[in-house]
Amino acid sequence: MKYIKLICLALLGMSLLPTASAEIRFNGFGSVVMGQTLTHQAPFTADFYDVGQYSDKPSFKPETVFALQATADVSADMKFTGQYLTKGTDEFETELDWYYLTYSGVEDWTFMAGRRNIPMYYYSEFSEVGFAYPWIRPPANLYWWQITQFNGVHASYEFEIGDLGNTITAFYGNEYSINNKEMLFYDRLFGGTATSIDEVWTDIIGFNYALVGEIFDLRFVYFQNDRNRTTYNADGTTTEMVPFDQTFMGFGGNINLDMITILFDMNLVIYDNDVELEYPTWLVSVVYNMDKYQPFVVYSQADETHDNDPLGTNRWEQHFTAGVGVRYNLSSSAALKVQYDYFEDQGDVDNGYNYHGDSETIAVALDFIF
Amino acid sequence: MVILGMILTSLLIMPSAFAEVAVIVNPANVSDINEKMIKKIFLGKQKKFPNGQVVIPLNSQEGTASRDSFNKNIIGRSATQISSHWARLVFTGKGTQPQDLASDAEIIKTVSSNQGAISYVDAASVTGNVKVIAKF
Repeated sequence: MKYIKLICLALLGMSLLPTASAEIRFNGFGSVVMGQTLTHQAPFTADFYDVGQYSDKPSFKPETVFALQATADVSADMKFTGQYLTKGTDEFETELDWYYLTYSGVEDWTFMAGRRNIPMYYYSEFSEVGFAYPWIRPPANLYWWQITQFNGVHASYEFEIGDLGNTITAFYGNEYSINNKEMLFYDRLFGGTATSIDEVWTDIIGFNYALVGEIFDLRFVYFQNDRNRTTYNADGTTTEMVPFDQTFMGFGGNINLDMITILFDMNLVIYDNDVELEYPTWLVSVVYNMDKYQPFVVYSQADETHDNDPLGTNRWEQHFTAGVGVRYNLSSSAALKVQYDYFEDQGDVDNGYNYHGDSETIAVALDFIF
Repeated sequence: MVILGMILTSLLIMPSAFAEVAVIVNPANVSDINEKMIKKIFLGKQKKFPNGQVVIPLNSQEGTASRDSFNKNIIGRSATQISSHWARLVFTGKGTQPQDLASDAEIIKTVSSNQGAISYVDAASVTGNVKVIAKF
């Protein structure tokens, strides 16, 4: 897949040549976020993938992010998009986070190839664009995966039925996450001594179906993939996880009534492994749209169950987050947000599945786009 | 006298504050376009007219009376809600925000020379080079 990156960069370079009649558009987004937990009990994980955690000392690091996007017309029907991103959790190191080609030369079809976020949850594809949603973050206890991106291809077909817009997108890709940050963090948390962990998701194949009406926007997703993991131990040996298949299903969206917006997402993840693990998760949020103020409440619940339960408990990992806050729109391109979150860890205590711990967190954010 | 003057002045100001806005398309566009469709086009939810022509939505610059009125009466959302919606599409590669044009004259010129263009202007600015499909 690094070849795709090289091809993309080469095409971008070509489109930048003075002889080419390329038009390049620059856009960007960012969030400056400061937060802290109010209790001394446990850290609050605001970003699972990059292990962005708040402690009882105020910090900008867990969630602050800046991104610059360049879109270049390679030809009349093909464009290249690249997104540079820098995050506080990565010590503000800049990386080319997204890069993909879009081809729209066939009527009603759009083809994309390159690196993007996996369209898992409703907010997955734009989870870092704070300005695009009411809260400071999409509920973190749902967006908890160690893999969020992949190198792949997408084919979208758009059609209308009456007043309803329909888009079906099929996608396929792979992700080889070398030295996965989240997996290493949890290895250490459980007393492990691994030097690094590679998390591998292959043959990620599935589809999205988006249905858009005048006042609603709904999305159904289904995909499956193979899971694999290699742990590099401190003594130089490696441990291979027993591979298994994973299935992801979701139904989410938003309904825009005049003064009220309702946002929701329901998901189910199934592991085809020896304990037949399932993760049912859901979120619901209500936003009240006043002129410049948008107060909101948000609740998210994540559970872990096993059809073949060796521990004899039906509560392995289990937690909810209840949040309340307000978004104040400074202008049509900047918003100030304040949010309070109560996180309760309901995991099984006897078997050590309450390892997140309870927390209360307050955070303030300035989100902007340009 | 002062009060009378103020009343007269306010009466003179009122019509411009509630100036009528006209939604315009290219004269060659024969599609039947209703308000719902206009809303969907400007939110990136509809990319073609019923006749198959690809839409080119054009906005008046931010802060103009016609844009504020269009947002309120046709889109039914605040400027921030609209830009949040577009942020989602732009940063996932699923849409390109309508271009902003500087003046009614520029909008009329662009609409008259692009078959798929759709925009809105102060009704008083309309010329014979464009077709009015709605007024509010």
